[in-house]
Amino acid sequence: MNRKIVINDFKGNKLITVSTCIFMAVTAMLLGLSIFLFSSLAVSIDTLMNIAETPHFLQMHTGELDEEELENFIASRNDVEKSQISRFLNLQNSCLSIGDKSFEANMQDNGLCCQGECFDYLVDGNNNVIHAETGEVYVPVAYKNEYEIEQGDTMRIGTEELTVAGFLRDSQMNSMMASSKRFLVSDEDYERLKYLGSEEYLIEFRLKEGSDVNAFATDYKDAGLPENGPTITYPLIRIMNALSDGVMILIILLVSIVVLFISVLCIRYIILTQLEKDRREIGMLKAVGISRKDIQSLYISKYLILSMIGCLVGIGLALVLAGQLGLGIKEMYGEAENKVLIYIFMVLGALLAEAIILLFIRRILRSTEKESAVSALTGKGGSHKKSNLWRPALIISAAAVFMILVPMGMKNTMSAPEFVTYMGIGNSHVRIDVRQNDDIGNTTLNLTNRIKDDDRVESFSVMRTRSYKVYLQDGKTYNLMLENGDHGVFPVNYQEGKYPEREDEIALSGLNAEEMNVRVGDKVTVLKEVDGGKTETYSCTVCGIYSDITNGGKTAKGCLDDSDDKTPPMWSIIYVSLKDEAISGKWVEEYQNDFTSGSDGVKVIEISDYLHGIYGQTIRNIQDASVLTMALSGIIIMVVIVLLMRLIIWKERKDSSLKKALGLSSSEIRTDYLKKLVLYVFSGVVIGELLGELLGQRIAGGLLSLMGASGFKFVIDPLESFGLVPLLIMITAVMAAVLSLTEIKRIRASECLNSGLE
Amino acid sequence: MSSLLRVKSIKKDNILNDVSFEVMSGEMIAVMGPSGSGKSTLLYNVSGMDQADGGEVWLGDTEIVQLSEDGKAKLRLNRMGFVFQQMNMISNLNILDNIVFPAVRADKRHRAEYYERARKLLDDFHIADIAERRIKEVSGGQLQRACICRSMIMNPEIIFADEPTGALNRTSAAEVMDAFRKINSEGATIMMVTHDSWIASKCERIIYLLDGQIRGELRLGKSTPEIDKAREQKLVHWLEGFGW
Repeated sequence: MNRKIVINDFKGNKLITVSTCIFMAVTAMLLGLSIFLFSSLAVSIDTLMNIAETPHFLQMHTGELDEEELENFIASRNDVEKSQISRFLNLQNSCLSIGDKSFEANMQDNGLCCQGECFDYLVDGNNNVIHAETGEVYVPVAYKNEYEIEQGDTMRIGTEELTVAGFLRDSQMNSMMASSKRFLVSDEDYERLKYLGSEEYLIEFRLKEGSDVNAFATDYKDAGLPENGPTITYPLIRIMNALSDGVMILIILLVSIVVLFISVLCIRYIILTQLEKDRREIGMLKAVGISRKDIQSLYISKYLILSMIGCLVGIGLALVLAGQLGLGIKEMYGEAENKVLIYIFMVLGALLAEAIILLFIRRILRSTEKESAVSALTGKGGSHKKSNLWRPALIISAAAVFMILVPMGMKNTMSAPEFVTYMGIGNSHVRIDVRQNDDIGNTTLNLTNRIKDDDRVESFSVMRTRSYKVYLQDGKTYNLMLENGDHGVFPVNYQEGKYPEREDEIALSGLNAEEMNVRVGDKVTVLKEVDGGKTETYSCTVCGIYSDITNGGKTAKGCLDDSDDKTPPMWSIIYVSLKDEAISGKWVEEYQNDFTSGSDGVKVIEISDYLHGIYGQTIRNIQDASVLTMALSGIIIMVVIVLLMRLIIWKERKDSSLKKALGLSSSEIRTDYLKKLVLYVFSGVVIGELLGELLGQRIAGGLLSLMGASGFKFVIDPLESFGLVPLLIMITAVMAAVLSLTEIKRIRASECLNSGLE
Repeated sequence: MSSLLRVKSIKKDNILNDVSFEVMSGEMIAVMGPSGSGKSTLLYNVSGMDQADGGEVWLGDTEIVQLSEDGKAKLRLNRMGFVFQQMNMISNLNILDNIVFPAVRADKRHRAEYYERARKLLDDFHIADIAERRIKEVSGGQLQRACICRSMIMNPEIIFADEPTGALNRTSAAEVMDAFRKINSEGATIMMVTHDSWIASKCERIIYLLDGQIRGELRLGKSTPEIDKAREQKLVHWLEGFGW
């Protein structure tokens, strides 16, 4: 019997049935898709990191290396499972090309390496450990599409040539957010090509299960072992791997939650309207003694069937999209183990969406329990809830605007020039890095002198980074990578406080402040080694905390006079702002030609290229998500408004008929409806804009803080946010309404005079 | 005739005040009174659709007022039939399915028997041809007769009818009353609320309700088509005594 009711209901209410089913399918698709992508990414990364045996602790080091000292340290510990020292031959990007594509503009630290001896393996497309033959090179998979590299291409390093034998997955440096990229060559080639660059060491450790990586890192530092370079730990590698694709997935998840909300809302109004229409029928059923459960089952069975269809369609769509959107993940991190489990997760995600919707439907149907048979039959009194059908237009417009604004705001924020300041980098036009150089001090000085005399330069500042020992008030010691220079020229973004201006001030990156458990206003003592084996101490007040993603996010900024410092800088950075930004490309090229030849470790790059190199892929992903969201919002608005207007017209049919009987024309009635709709949609757009500004900034802030950029403010493109988006929503809504309002013409003036049967 | 429905001092808000009466098995009784006199309220309370404030209502040996909501629903489904002024039926089912709907809900095992019974009822009321039609495709009189079929499907002990001809023209109303008279002659007990003296004159006994109290009772005896005119005149005369 229920089947007959449901089939006839579907036949009689095609539009409502199809719309409800679309909502259910889209919700199931989005939730299933986001769960699929999320678990694929997580499992693929884990699979890769397991196969590659990623180090738990990694210390990069430039300079001399005392291996005996290291061996003694390892012998003294019982938490080290295995260790190795890998070598990395830093190459000049200007000397590097594959096929006809030069790496000159590449901002990554590219270099050669050999396969890991006993762990940290570089693997191929099938996750097998690669063994490079002489004359072969394996290229990071991240470059495959960017440089359109194919197997068999020739890689040139200066005058040397190697053949691209394939692509490698590097569990450590796969992500574009990792600043280095390793090219794998055979041991013989590595030795042969050593003269082309400067060597850096990766001191790597695999720890026994259950060991505390952070405690190990502290002990390593305290032991005074080589540490001239960034420190990276397993969890950080994992996060870096997850982020560039993870952000897009989080946006899809956010959108799926908003769509779920919209679906529930729409279905709620559909059911409430249906219940209002069926009020007497329900009263009659109650009167003749049909139980509440049976009455509910009449409705539930209809939505159960719809949700089953929606779920199946949603899973089908999710499978199609997952294939497309998951391609990048598959290429970068490989096939996940337990693929079946991931598909089960996807189905569970889709089922969860349907379960939530059905749960809400059950709740709405419970309202039918409250009204007595008598009040339903007589239509008097009772607790029957009347639905305001215009309200969904407002809420859904607000939700759609919000849904568009979050990814759009994120994309704008990350594309804006000032975004670098959230990454611990000054907002200048050009950045010059001096690293892996035998004489960083002099090279920096030469550069500084040249820039000083360059009248095209508006301003510049020089930052020198050294490792300093720091004492906290509670006696604990830390090793800080402290960047000294004038931080007022190109200030970074401070979550709290301000940049250091005096010798007794120091600013810390968010991660360092958290680890050291210090706040703005706390005091720390910095120890400086000067010539003659002496040390000088500086009592510094923490004046600011900033967000940073560079060098593992653990940095500090100060203004110490380091001219008499015994130890040479680990690296130095010069930020340059030009009087005319338009010439920055030419300027960079000129300095590249003059300073980046040979192996002097100088890298000159425009800040926009630097940002693009790190976040390019993520921004592209967010851009895709943004376009998808905009299209989805448009479709949702279209469907919802068509549906809503049909319901409203149906509900107010008698009023419209009366208006016609009193002499109003169809177009006058249509105009009244349109005015009302525009008012509600416009109010929704305003609320959506406000939500986007307030809540969206928080959500996007949460997502961006995962990438190391915290305390940021949304960058709003007024034309997009206040022009394009509201216009898109309003035009779509009006178009949908005009489509539905044709029904007004069919209402006859005499209808209001008829009573009784409906 | 034995007593089927016994109502003792029933009260509801200020609408019903100490109403007591009995309905005999196989009787067809009408409740009359002006608008607001409490006729429909009385019907809703004695049938358990509404909860009385006080008093007792016995259907056979079951006291209804004290039953739970679910208990009352079960009683209505299995032992009572209902016909309303508005001919409410499930719009997504055809006439035949609507008639068997309550029965199938109550007892799924005898589905085929109920369908057979429904077809017989439709045939008895001369509307067999509308069995497969949607409710919007039939006339008011046909629909109300289908509602009577639905009320009869479980072979109830009593049928309650609230203004069953209120929305019908005289021809349709006559068809409906013929149907009621037919089932009554076959043994069905009917309690009907009406403000139409012509309809009430078809009943065996008439109770007159005013301000929530029974003010009088008229026995007309079983009706036959031949003496209808005289019965109506007698009833009108009686009603005039109450200022009708």
